[in-house]
Amino acid sequence: MGMRALFGLLLAVALSLAAGAAQAHPHVWITATSELLYAEDGTITGVRHAWTFDDMFSAYAVQGLESKAKGAYTREELGSLAQTNVESLKEYAYFTFARADGKKERFQEPVDYFLDYKDTVLTLHFTLPLKNPVKSRQLVLEVFDRSFFIDFQMAKDNPVKLVGAPAGCQMKLDRPSDGTATAQKLNEQTFMNGENSNFGMMFANKITVDCP
Amino acid sequence: MKPQLTPMARGLAVCAGVLLVVGVTDAALHDLLAQNPFGAPRSPQAAQPEAGGLIGWLLAKQSEFYRQMSATIRAAKSDGSAVWTLLFISFAYGIFHAAGPGHGKAVIASYLVANRETARRGIVLSFASALMQSLVAILIVGISAWVLNATAKTMCKAEGAIEIASYALIALFGLRLVWVKGRTFIRALQAVQAVPAIAGVPHDHHDLGHHHHDAHDHHGHDHAQAHHHHEHDHVHDEHCGHSHGPTPSELAGPGGWGRGFAAILTVGIRPCSGAILVLVFALAQGLFWAGIAATLLMGLGTAITVAAIAVVAVSAKDIAARLSAGRDGGGALFMRGIEFAAAGVVLLFGAGLLLGYVAAERTTCF
Repeated sequence: MGMRALFGLLLAVALSLAAGAAQAHPHVWITATSELLYAEDGTITGVRHAWTFDDMFSAYAVQGLESKAKGAYTREELGSLAQTNVESLKEYAYFTFARADGKKERFQEPVDYFLDYKDTVLTLHFTLPLKNPVKSRQLVLEVFDRSFFIDFQMAKDNPVKLVGAPAGCQMKLDRPSDGTATAQKLNEQTFMNGENSNFGMMFANKITVDCP
Repeated sequence: MKPQLTPMARGLAVCAGVLLVVGVTDAALHDLLAQNPFGAPRSPQAAQPEAGGLIGWLLAKQSEFYRQMSATIRAAKSDGSAVWTLLFISFAYGIFHAAGPGHGKAVIASYLVANRETARRGIVLSFASALMQSLVAILIVGISAWVLNATAKTMCKAEGAIEIASYALIALFGLRLVWVKGRTFIRALQAVQAVPAIAGVPHDHHDLGHHHHDAHDHHGHDHAQAHHHHEHDHVHDEHCGHSHGPTPSELAGPGGWGRGFAAILTVGIRPCSGAILVLVFALAQGLFWAGIAATLLMGLGTAITVAAIAVVAVSAKDIAARLSAGRDGGGALFMRGIEFAAAGVVLLFGAGLLLGYVAAERTTCF
């Protein structure tokens, strides 16, 4: 009996320690704006992101890059870095997750990508075309890093733009810091499942577009 | 049978109790940090963390401290007094960063439980390994960015290689601990089995030994599973000293300091992503020295937290050892069993980090 109780205690300790292991805190901050791109017939063709990095990471990223004017970088000078960025982002699915009417949608490799450097911060611009453009009543787009190394925040002003969307489409943005019902629900689920590897989900920026 | 078991049972209970407290505290901290983004000062409507009072507030400060560093370094360019602010922020960040959740506390606790060392050596090793971590970060940035003017991509790759090496070192280190502690445990087991024949104590003793063995096996096993689950996405926070604690036993016995160096190397070789970012940023501002000072202060803060955890772990084990010191040697067997299990945990951590890390190698580089 005593042994069994002890075993139970040890198990509880082991599990709680293990749960703690899955935590991280962000080292990179991104302020994002996203545009949802629509074709004339109302199908969604892709997403165009503009991600502005925090100044510490920006300084880190431009370290060692050559530039004609000190402290200023042209789009061309940042070309190879932009390419490295989008190539590396592939591994993380571009931190962008789309569902059309509940069905997962995939993205092609980014196009029209470039970096600009302004006021000591870098902004990465890129377009993610959907593999299969879809026409859906509801589109859910989430932007987050599941490991929470990167903290994504949608911009304060005009965080999401619908470009060429059919009339009557309604856009809603759930920010993680709102402590919204969605985030709390995810929070509970995450802990109840003991599935901490997804804990960055709690910090997802969720864009929902409902079209008639 | 029962009366003979009492000292050991008490030892078990105390040890389990202390471990539970550590575990629950860890879980609580983890919940608090998980709420951090909700309670971060960045969003005005959520300025108050919901739970945790002072500790919760302090943990919520961690990200804020980190984010203040860049502005403070910038300010230091024109205003020398901002350097003091920078040093304070770095120090506070180090303390809270190490206090935050991470597999580190588990590794530390395991290391310490696996060994029979004094709290003092635990403290010394905490400081030495944190200092080494700071120096590694300074060297990486100093050589690659300052001297060679390497790009972030190159630096990040170097960082990645060092990370893999550090995980391999932990695994090797755990393997050696398992070897050493396993043999000690088996010897203790044999000693206990020999006792009944000599003293004529009922054969129940035999069973007891086996029970222990089972319990520890399960214990270790669960750790393994949990880690395969979790380590994947979380390579980042294995930095900054709080991740791998010192191992006082490494310093025990003859030739102690030589082996202590191996322990410091194992723990301290892994630099902190945060420190590297701060250093590169400071370099870009033409204030590399301020970055170095900030990194060292971060290390000092980290060391204080890790040392405190080390002291708690050592004390807990001392109490358990005292209470379980039975007349019949069962207490000794129990302690050797715990040490053996803890050694196994170190090995599993190393292996888990290594495997998980390989799967998510480029997480920090983009």
